Amino acid sequence: MAQITLDHLTKRFGDAAAVQDLTLELGSGELVALLGPSGCGKTTTLRMIAGFETPTEGRVRLGDLDVTDAPPEKRNCGMVFQNYALFPHLTVEQNVAFGLEMRGVGRTEVRRRAGEILDKVGLRGLSGRYPRQLSGGQQQRTALARALVINPSVLLLDEPLANLDAKLREEMRFFIRSLQQEFHITTLYVTHDQAEALVLADRVAVLMNGVLQQYDSPERVYQRPRSAAVAGFIGLTNLIPGRVRACAGDRVVLDTAGGHVSSLGDASLREGADALLSIRPEHLELGRPDSSPEDGRNRMRGTIRERTFLGALIDFRVDVGRDLVLRVQGRVSASERVGDAVAVSFDPAAGWVLPRGGT
Amino acid sequence: MTVTHAGAPAARAVPRDVGRHLLIIPALAVLTVFFVLPYLNLALISLMTPSHRAPYLRILTLGNYTGLLRDPFTWQVIWHTLWIGAATTVVCLVVSYPLAYHLARASRRLRGVFMVLVISPLLVGVLIRTYGWMILLQDTGLINQLLRAFGLRGAPLMYNNTGVLIGLVHVFVPFMVLSIAGTIQSIDPELEFASRSLGAGAWRTFWRVVLPLSLPGVLAGTILVFVLTVSSYVIPSLLGGFTVLTVPLLVVRTVTELFNWPGGSAFAIIFFLVTLVVVGSYVRAMSRASRPL
Repeated sequence: MAQITLDHLTKRFGDAAAVQDLTLELGSGELVALLGPSGCGKTTTLRMIAGFETPTEGRVRLGDLDVTDAPPEKRNCGMVFQNYALFPHLTVEQNVAFGLEMRGVGRTEVRRRAGEILDKVGLRGLSGRYPRQLSGGQQQRTALARALVINPSVLLLDEPLANLDAKLREEMRFFIRSLQQEFHITTLYVTHDQAEALVLADRVAVLMNGVLQQYDSPERVYQRPRSAAVAGFIGLTNLIPGRVRACAGDRVVLDTAGGHVSSLGDASLREGADALLSIRPEHLELGRPDSSPEDGRNRMRGTIRERTFLGALIDFRVDVGRDLVLRVQGRVSASERVGDAVAVSFDPAAGWVLPRGGT
Repeated sequence: MTVTHAGAPAARAVPRDVGRHLLIIPALAVLTVFFVLPYLNLALISLMTPSHRAPYLRILTLGNYTGLLRDPFTWQVIWHTLWIGAATTVVCLVVSYPLAYHLARASRRLRGVFMVLVISPLLVGVLIRTYGWMILLQDTGLINQLLRAFGLRGAPLMYNNTGVLIGLVHVFVPFMVLSIAGTIQSIDPELEFASRSLGAGAWRTFWRVVLPLSLPGVLAGTILVFVLTVSSYVIPSLLGGFTVLTVPLLVVRTVTELFNWPGGSAFAIIFFLVTLVVVGSYVRAMSRASRPL
């Protein structure tokens, strides 16, 4: 059974709709990333689940309980705020104990459970500290402990890593994931960082302008985006405009500035329709312009305009004519130089054709 | 699981700068001329011998103090003054806190309107405002006329503690509201949400989160109102008539009517010290309660 069910949820502030007709289901124990650019309505969605905002329309269900009209204190949501929202006048232990005390748990039991969870997040030694005496990462752990200790029915995380530096962010990602699995708790993870969403989540819900764009596994969201907006938001991609020449099932042949290319595509595409081919830079390969085409690979001829060393990769910008510049990421050993004539090739299965404009 | 980032971030050191200390000189100068010197003068006069032919005789004596300290009437007036101060402060606090909360949490535009409304009592001179209250509160005043019109008995609202309290609360509410609103505004509203999501209702969130975090503002507001109340003169004298006797009234009367400058000065000094002790112990108690902040 779904642990969190959002049923045609809409939130309007005045005339502006922050969230529009959002329907989403999270299975038990699932970690779903709610991903979108800032101002897309993802935090508003989270706050409606927690009970801090009242939806204009639609229902929120936790388990089989309709909580749309319930106050936050009756929802049993564990919430981690972007700025952690730790109580500054309470110690780490008192912060963690707060939720238990509100539930009328006895004093010795509170101490035991608070100690247990602080052990788990590695803060036992700091239980007497006040939040302002903690580093960002420690505050984050305290906030997690405080949210988890009450055995919430769902865990809501609002950009939990946004205020941490890059190295710590990486570490905390895995920590959050392992805690989530250990507690087997249904988790909604709000983030604007697509890398975070792809790494952490079982499923990713992409929200833009308050509208759900796609709700899929990380792989599918990355490889089979439903719209150009999703393709552009998640990872780097080349979008090559063209017209559908032929299609059968998910196989599409597209007329583009660089010639005919065959690829996979959305089943809704029709012959003659304007479309976009999305192809990731890492799926493009550089070769000699006179090399014989391998079986079935798409090829475009072009000239290297820029070459940027990225450490693990080299990023090329290849002009394939008619104002079309492709980004290609190749191995550091690549010997091509700026000005070289090259052939750019890719496997038809690596590309994905989207309806143009689209939703 | 190990903690990788042990140790708290070092407290930011305040840069030492001599130039900054020079900036307090104007305030210090004003305080010296208008507060320290007059008080020293007062202390000096309080040690002189009273006289009927001159403000005082330049003969040192402790008689003013011993006489006052032995007189139960002195302590009665001091007690009454402190009582009115405490009552005004408590009523102000109860009235002001919800107001301050709404002021702090209101939208920017609404906050401006609120602010003007809150400080409106201060926009009218103390005499005019007090006469306004007299029109409302006196035995033949608006409120009593209304009460009688409805067949109820009139209530004595003036020339007693009630009248003084009403007048004092009215004028000192703004001080309390502004002090408290300042600290509430600095409390992250997310903390209230955090508390709610952890299972505390609105009321428990207030007691466990908002109130403790706003104690510094409560401390500032209560001290401000208490000190202003116990030293107020116009309102107790007009709304209290001759029935409510507070230290400022008695000091002024001792000086102007009994022409006893040293006696009045000694009384003022004694009351100054009493207030200092009262406020001092209050601050200590409150700081202990809000230490983690």
